[in-house]
Amino acid sequence: MELFIQFLTNTGYYLADFRNIIMLFVGFIFIYLGTAKKYEPLLLIPIGFGMLVGNVPFFKGFGLGIYESNSVLHYLYFGVTTGLYPSIVFLGLGAMTDFSSLLARPKLMLLGAAAQMGIFFTLISALALGFLPKEAGSIAIIGGADGPTSIFLTAKLAPHLIGPVAIAAYSYMALIPVIQPPIMRLLTTRKERVIHMSEPREVSKKELVIFPVVGMVICCFLAPASIPLLGTFFFGNFMKEGGATERLVKTARTSIIDIATIFLGFTVGASTQGDVFLTGNSIKIFCLGAIAFSIATASGVIFAKIMNLFLKDKINPLLGAAGVSAVPGSAREVHLVAQQEDPTNYLLMHAMACNSSGVIGSAICAGILWSFLV
Amino acid sequence: MYGLEAINAANGWAMAFTGAIIVFSGLVVLSFVISRLNKVLSFWENLISNFKKNHQAKQTDELQDEDNSVVPHLIPSDIKEAARYYSHLIEDLDQPFELTRLYEISQKKGFPHPHITISNFRQANILVPAGDGLFTWSQP
Repeated sequence: MELFIQFLTNTGYYLADFRNIIMLFVGFIFIYLGTAKKYEPLLLIPIGFGMLVGNVPFFKGFGLGIYESNSVLHYLYFGVTTGLYPSIVFLGLGAMTDFSSLLARPKLMLLGAAAQMGIFFTLISALALGFLPKEAGSIAIIGGADGPTSIFLTAKLAPHLIGPVAIAAYSYMALIPVIQPPIMRLLTTRKERVIHMSEPREVSKKELVIFPVVGMVICCFLAPASIPLLGTFFFGNFMKEGGATERLVKTARTSIIDIATIFLGFTVGASTQGDVFLTGNSIKIFCLGAIAFSIATASGVIFAKIMNLFLKDKINPLLGAAGVSAVPGSAREVHLVAQQEDPTNYLLMHAMACNSSGVIGSAICAGILWSFLV
Repeated sequence: MYGLEAINAANGWAMAFTGAIIVFSGLVVLSFVISRLNKVLSFWENLISNFKKNHQAKQTDELQDEDNSVVPHLIPSDIKEAARYYSHLIEDLDQPFELTRLYEISQKKGFPHPHITISNFRQANILVPAGDGLFTWSQP
């Protein structure tokens, strides 16, 4: 009988507290949103299920939890804490990205730059709320709307915040259809939203091949701390455009990125243990994340309007919202908002140009913040 | 610490401003470079194609000059000069050779009046009989 009672006291049912229950509930919501509503399923499902696994109560000291050094989850979490998974994800992203629309209209790169202002605004806000500088840097990068970049920088600057930062970043990426359209409509007039972009020029194969080399040199020389992200990103893109390594490209944009995404999402979700995650700081981080996203969207749109004061060939200011790094969610939203105003207005490829620029911009920002705060 | 005091203590304004300037400048530079990429590539390709065209034209001229030196428009009246032109044809023939062979080759190459020229060579003993209807070439 004693043995049975001892067994019962070691079960999750006995050890559970309200924090586990709350996080399990959040995990259920993520899984529901990913499965039933199809909101960013590739992100929300691994994270949601990871939350469920990570919040099963257990007896500490037996190498079960993700924070215990000899546990299986801890070994898998290694890729998060060292920045390995984000680097691999960027390799796959580069192998999937088509820069032709950006090369055809290079000025759209400036919208990607403008949208990164959300990061620096959030940096100041986080400092004002009492976060330490490294913590503020990790929270600020949420404004780049890039999950792997957020995880990468947080792992370097404030590893104890990986859980809330990653959950905030991915949650807001999944909520782009809710967050961005009202801001886009608020900051633009109908006349601006129906601006048609002119046809982009044809981009030669040589330009597509040379761009990743040139881009890597310029960006990584500027911010060497972004090498793990941008180095692999441009490498993946060069393999894609070079055409000589088709097998490697296919692997990079399918198996490799999928493996990294699964383990990244699952272990990040598992890291959100109730006792670690449910703190006052997490709520502040969530609020700051929302501000970061909103400011990033707004700064991109406003900058596009400013550019139009000097341009003969006007840019649709909605494209500024696609300057955030959330590929392809924000590009899709920009396209949909434009279509609602004018069904003949196809902004998707132009929005993808801004999106790709946002990926580069947010990675550079991560490198800059790391070099400031290390 | 909270508020402005915290921002100032952490040098927040400078970090934010400097970071924004750096990322903006970096992307402006990248944008400028890729906007020029097309023109630089066109310039480079034009340079290469012009170089190739000039090189090919030079080769064609050289070949033509070579041809011109081998195939005269008019056989010189000086027999030795005429023999110099025909000596290039003799190099392709094994000696002794038939006169009909020499005639065929000279006609093919476009030499003017091969029959009279070969006859002149015979009279000048540049073409020397070697028996059995064959001849050898005796360069003057």
